[in-house]
Amino acid sequence: MPKILLVEDNEMNRDMLSRRLERRGHSVVMAHDGEQGLLLAGTEMPDLILMDISLPIMDGCEVTRRLKADKRTRHIPVIALTAHALVTDRVKAIGAGCDDYDTKPIEFSRLSEKIHNCLAEKKAL
Amino acid sequence: MSFQNLSIRRKLTLITMLTSSIALLLSSASFLIYDLISFRHLLTEDLTTQAEIIGYNSAAAMAFKDEPAATATLSALRVKGDIVAAVLYSPDGTMFAQYFSNDNTLPTFLPSRSQEEGYRFKGRYLEVWHEVTLNGEPLGTLFLQSDMRQWSTRAKRYAGICLGFVLISGFFAFLVSAKLQRVISGPIVHLEDTVRMVSATKNYEVRAVKSYSDEIGSLIDGFNTMLSDIQQRDTALRGANDELQTRTQELEQEISHRKQAQEELLKAKYVAEEASRAKSTFLANMSHELRTPLNAIIGYSEMLEEEAQDSGTEAAVQDLQKIKSAGKHLLALINDVLDLSKIEAGKMSLHLEMFDVSGMIEEIVTTLQPAIEKNKNTLGVRLAEDVGMMRADITKVRQILFNLLSNACKFTDHGTISVDVDQRTVEGLAWLRFRVTDSGIGISAKQQTNLFQEFAQADTSIARKYGGTGLGLAITHRFVQLMKGRIEVESQPGEGSMFTVHIPAQVTPETVGPTATEGSSDASDAIADMQTGRDTILVIDDDAAVRELMTRFLMKLGFSVLTVANGEEGVRLAKQVHPVLITLDVVMPECDGWTILSKLKADPELSKVPVIMVTIVDNEAKGFDLGASNYLIKPVDRERLAVLIEKHRITRSKAITGIDTVSKSFLSHGNKRGEVGAEASEKVSHAENLAGRR
Repeated sequence: MPKILLVEDNEMNRDMLSRRLERRGHSVVMAHDGEQGLLLAGTEMPDLILMDISLPIMDGCEVTRRLKADKRTRHIPVIALTAHALVTDRVKAIGAGCDDYDTKPIEFSRLSEKIHNCLAEKKAL
Repeated sequence: MSFQNLSIRRKLTLITMLTSSIALLLSSASFLIYDLISFRHLLTEDLTTQAEIIGYNSAAAMAFKDEPAATATLSALRVKGDIVAAVLYSPDGTMFAQYFSNDNTLPTFLPSRSQEEGYRFKGRYLEVWHEVTLNGEPLGTLFLQSDMRQWSTRAKRYAGICLGFVLISGFFAFLVSAKLQRVISGPIVHLEDTVRMVSATKNYEVRAVKSYSDEIGSLIDGFNTMLSDIQQRDTALRGANDELQTRTQELEQEISHRKQAQEELLKAKYVAEEASRAKSTFLANMSHELRTPLNAIIGYSEMLEEEAQDSGTEAAVQDLQKIKSAGKHLLALINDVLDLSKIEAGKMSLHLEMFDVSGMIEEIVTTLQPAIEKNKNTLGVRLAEDVGMMRADITKVRQILFNLLSNACKFTDHGTISVDVDQRTVEGLAWLRFRVTDSGIGISAKQQTNLFQEFAQADTSIARKYGGTGLGLAITHRFVQLMKGRIEVESQPGEGSMFTVHIPAQVTPETVGPTATEGSSDASDAIADMQTGRDTILVIDDDAAVRELMTRFLMKLGFSVLTVANGEEGVRLAKQVHPVLITLDVVMPECDGWTILSKLKADPELSKVPVIMVTIVDNEAKGFDLGASNYLIKPVDRERLAVLIEKHRITRSKAITGIDTVSKSFLSHGNKRGEVGAEASEKVSHAENLAGRR
């Protein structure tokens, strides 16, 4: 059962996404800000991280940069979630080291496929 | 002072006096000379007569040699004061008798002997010689000498009289000429005074007074005429000057007005630009703020729908679907508005890449299936055989067709919808023609006029019946324009519609926008600029999983990726798109990689394209023999592949920055996976929601 770390500050989104991921058979760990996300990634060692980009305390890009700089967490795929319409935000996210991105509102089937792909890619290469 | 520089008054006086004096002098002199000549003549005659008388009286004494008698006779001359000497000469020439006046001043010489009869002038003396005869007998010669005292006295007196006369008449001439010269000099002096005054005071109203109708009179007339001419011109000039000054003032005022207006305009422009920026920011923020709650609404309704399906509460499922659908509709509207505002701000950029047209059409049709079935319509797709790859912004091409097709579905009930795609060449340029035809309600000519205008639905009643923002066709139109294409419509009410879109098969990179320079420093635009030069890598592999993984990886490195399972097909594609690099598998069902490598290297067009072998077969030597650039054994070491590609990148003209690389990877993401909604999630997530178009 793949373990997913969901870093998201909006309570409703966090609640909804976690419940839907659990329904699909994932185990979900949640963090409500960047700092907590960074901490949990190290302790929980999830198989994949869903990272909201605009986060309090430490934004998603910074968290990802740190995760990718750390030998222990470098291998964990990170999918950025951004609600911003601007291309620059997505560029920032990928630039920070995110493996993929998805935009809000979450199209669950699409996100689900991205999660699946990321996990498969990790396994293959 | 020379004569020339004297005043005209003096000149006239001098001339008059000089002339009259000369005339007077000449006439006096001639009179004097005449008088003196005739008086001398008289004196000569007188002395000759005197000599005849003396000779007669002394003839007896001479005859008798009576010297005292002769001397006495000669002495009688004493009464004649002017005779200074008298001598009687014997016929033999000796002096017989002589007389000298009382004066002691004796003549310095006396002629020693007698001379011929007659008179002669010697110095200031007159001498007369006379022969003394008696009865025809010559007795001797008489000599008389006169000092012409009378003559010289007379000459002196006459000269004095003449001089006095000249002086007196000169004085009178001066008086008269001084009076008369004014007739000439007066007007000239007056003219001179007038000229001096005019030039000193610049008063051109002054006139010289004309005294006589002579030459000076006409000179004064001419001068006055000239003055009045000057006066007229002066008045006109002053008028013109005044006018000029007025005009200048007016112009200055005008200029300051304009400057003010310009400043106001600049201010207004600044304010407008600020407002426009504020609008863009507001729209971006709003879109964010609106999407967050929508995220929750759509997500929860989807989740509840799944749960309701599981628990079998059908009624709730339908209601939840309605909530979800409404949410998605709202999302589509927000996206439309955002798109349009971006287009208007000139921030919509093109992300050009090579893609397969038929694949794209297939995706659209799949996505639209529910909408087609909704009104019981049938869809026919016809692709001409020559339609292959095109280079354009796939997202926008897809949205164009999507908008047209979903409109067709919406406005057609129990009818047919068709998509025709073909390629044609106009003036050497290849164009793709997409034609969407339906048998729906059609559009009237009047409605067609503002069909592509924002917020202008064909009829307000349509909005009520079919929903929609009225932005779909406007956006479609703008997208077509952005790619330098054009869109046409043919329709009759009740007889269906036909929309035709022409797009160049190779869209050129320039971004087109109403204010393309505005905010061009945005990263998005910079990315768009870089992406236009994106290079393509061709992946030839029969394994779908490898193709998929390679695609994702290579896209992240900033390339456009084309994949193909069949080797022969790979060679054909390579010729078409000229990739910068090819990766090639060896073990493939129909034609193995070695054969393909040989074909690639044998083709003059393609022999220079580097080929990286990616295979499980361990035969590096054979690969290099056949011309492969590199050899990688599966499973692929991605870092190694990246390094190799980086080396080949040297041939690329432009260095690609980090941002470029990452942006390309996600912008093209999903395209290969055929999810219409995936890459369009933000810009173009209209895919799922078709309610409300046109």
